[in-house]
Amino acid sequence: MTDCRIGIEAGHVVMRLAGAWQLARLRQLDAALKACPAPGAEQGAGAPQVLDGSALDALDTAAALQLCGWLRARGADPATMPVRGFDPRFERVLRQVAAASGDQAAARPAALRPPIARLGVLAVSAGEMLHGHLSFLGFVIVETGRALVRPGRLRVSELVTQLSRTCVTAVPVVALVTALIGLVFAYLLGLQAEQYGANIFVVDGVALGMTREFSPLIVAVIVAGRSGASFAAQLGTMRLNEETDAIAVLGLSVAQVLVVPRVLALVLALPLLVFVGNLAGLAGAAVIASTMLDITPSTFLARLHDSLAPRHAIIGLVKAPVFALLIAVIGCRMGMSGSRDTRTIGINTTSTVVQSIVGVIVIDALFAVVLQEIGW
Amino acid sequence: MSAAIELRGITTRFGRQTIHDGIDLTIGRGELVAVIGGSGTGKSVLLREIVGLHRPDAGTVRLLGTDVWQAAGAELAAVRRRFGMMFQDGALFSSLTVAGNVAVPLRESGLVPESLVAPLVALRLAQAGLPADAGAKMPAQLSGGMRKRAAIARALALEPELLFLDEPTSGLDPITARAFDRLLEGLCEDLGITVVVVTHDLDTLMTIARRVVVLGGGHVVADGDLSTILASEDPWIREYFSSRTSRDRREDAEADGT
Repeated sequence: MTDCRIGIEAGHVVMRLAGAWQLARLRQLDAALKACPAPGAEQGAGAPQVLDGSALDALDTAAALQLCGWLRARGADPATMPVRGFDPRFERVLRQVAAASGDQAAARPAALRPPIARLGVLAVSAGEMLHGHLSFLGFVIVETGRALVRPGRLRVSELVTQLSRTCVTAVPVVALVTALIGLVFAYLLGLQAEQYGANIFVVDGVALGMTREFSPLIVAVIVAGRSGASFAAQLGTMRLNEETDAIAVLGLSVAQVLVVPRVLALVLALPLLVFVGNLAGLAGAAVIASTMLDITPSTFLARLHDSLAPRHAIIGLVKAPVFALLIAVIGCRMGMSGSRDTRTIGINTTSTVVQSIVGVIVIDALFAVVLQEIGW
Repeated sequence: MSAAIELRGITTRFGRQTIHDGIDLTIGRGELVAVIGGSGTGKSVLLREIVGLHRPDAGTVRLLGTDVWQAAGAELAAVRRRFGMMFQDGALFSSLTVAGNVAVPLRESGLVPESLVAPLVALRLAQAGLPADAGAKMPAQLSGGMRKRAAIARALALEPELLFLDEPTSGLDPITARAFDRLLEGLCEDLGITVVVVTHDLDTLMTIARRVVVLGGGHVVADGDLSTILASEDPWIREYFSSRTSRDRREDAEADGT
């Protein structure tokens, strides 16, 4: 049975519909409609004047919409054209769909900006982002100053909680990663040094590299992924949940309750974690030294004591709180900004990690240049 | 033709707490059924069990003739295409526009030619009573009432035979809520679909429900049309219906007096 057929009856062009006009058969109906102009019908004379639904088994809104579109394309108006033999339910569906789909100005997606304009928009938004971060940094410094001037304001329990979350629970992963880095570093250095019989200098290289560069950098990257992301997600969720508003309405300062403890905790935690990283990295190197390079642990320690100037380790530990401040400020600000919906939380959390890691590496490069210039 | 929904001996436990203790319920095609009950009587859980999101500890759920919890993946997916569900807060996909949300089921089904997707989305938005420009908005930009309408539009996308609504009017002001009731009523009449609605809203109940199922103590406490329920002796039901405001009762009294 054909789904639709057009013929001339008593001087009118009649379109007969049959079978099930339902969403599941839209593709077949599409084909049937395309093939519909009856064989022999003159060009232009195919616009149906009457719809016959006496053989119709089902008509749902999707199929009715398809029919309406087809009729309109041929100059017929499905909202007013006469029908016959329709089940009242089907006629109602047809008329309602015809009325609802009548004047559809299909919404066009906004046109894409040209590349130069997009670059400009990107640059402006990056500038605004940086400006926002800097003013948030100033805000955090002022609020932290207030908390330190009047220690009664400081939320000690929240600070301890955050310290435990960002520092204590991070120790295993930090130790594991830095130990592996120390291991690999010593192994690769060892391969080179062995050729010249200069095994012992592996200790010098690993000690300098780990304490001054690798440990602070690796730990900062781990913390950016762990704590920075969690700050953004936590604060974002609390804002979505109106918890931050509840804090404000209770007469408390959101900055004092949520932001300052997180920033302080991270600034305290990162140097401690870097120290853990130093120990683990050197331990990893010591394992390679004793198994591959014939350097016993006691020789390793003695050489470490002789070769590693304390300033290198101190520089590493000094960089850590700077990285921490950057990560905490970006994490908290990304959590506290943007629109309040779940999608923004996801975007801001990702953005926190990317911004923090890039920022840490840029600051590390600045440290390297400046310290080089002043001869450290 | 099999019943739309057939529940036999549904038992649900959370830990040591028994939520449903052998619920039997049959809902025929074309019925508009409201499920009510106090907090914690497992109305929403029952809905989740019917649609296959939460496995009951015992009992069978037959949806449009298919045993939901015995069906193979493809069979279950086929049944799921035949019903729409509106979640309490809309559960719109936050990364898509409203139009994108409604288009998801249309595109994923593979049944709708691409040329028809955009007009069909526009039709669904119109059916749900949303203005045409709402399609381009993100869910986060919508008010509560519009979010629920968008959710209805998505639930209706594939011409469902069955529609599940979880608290459709919660969090809406009375005017918006009544408009929503009329929308639901109109949809049921026009499309002839079976509707199961979990609600707390007395006015919704009074306006649209042809049949009311009351859950309590893990059982179906009462089941029937509104007058049957109103005549019930169950203390919870009596308290529930007496919680209508005094103004409503005064109006009713005046209406009786004239």
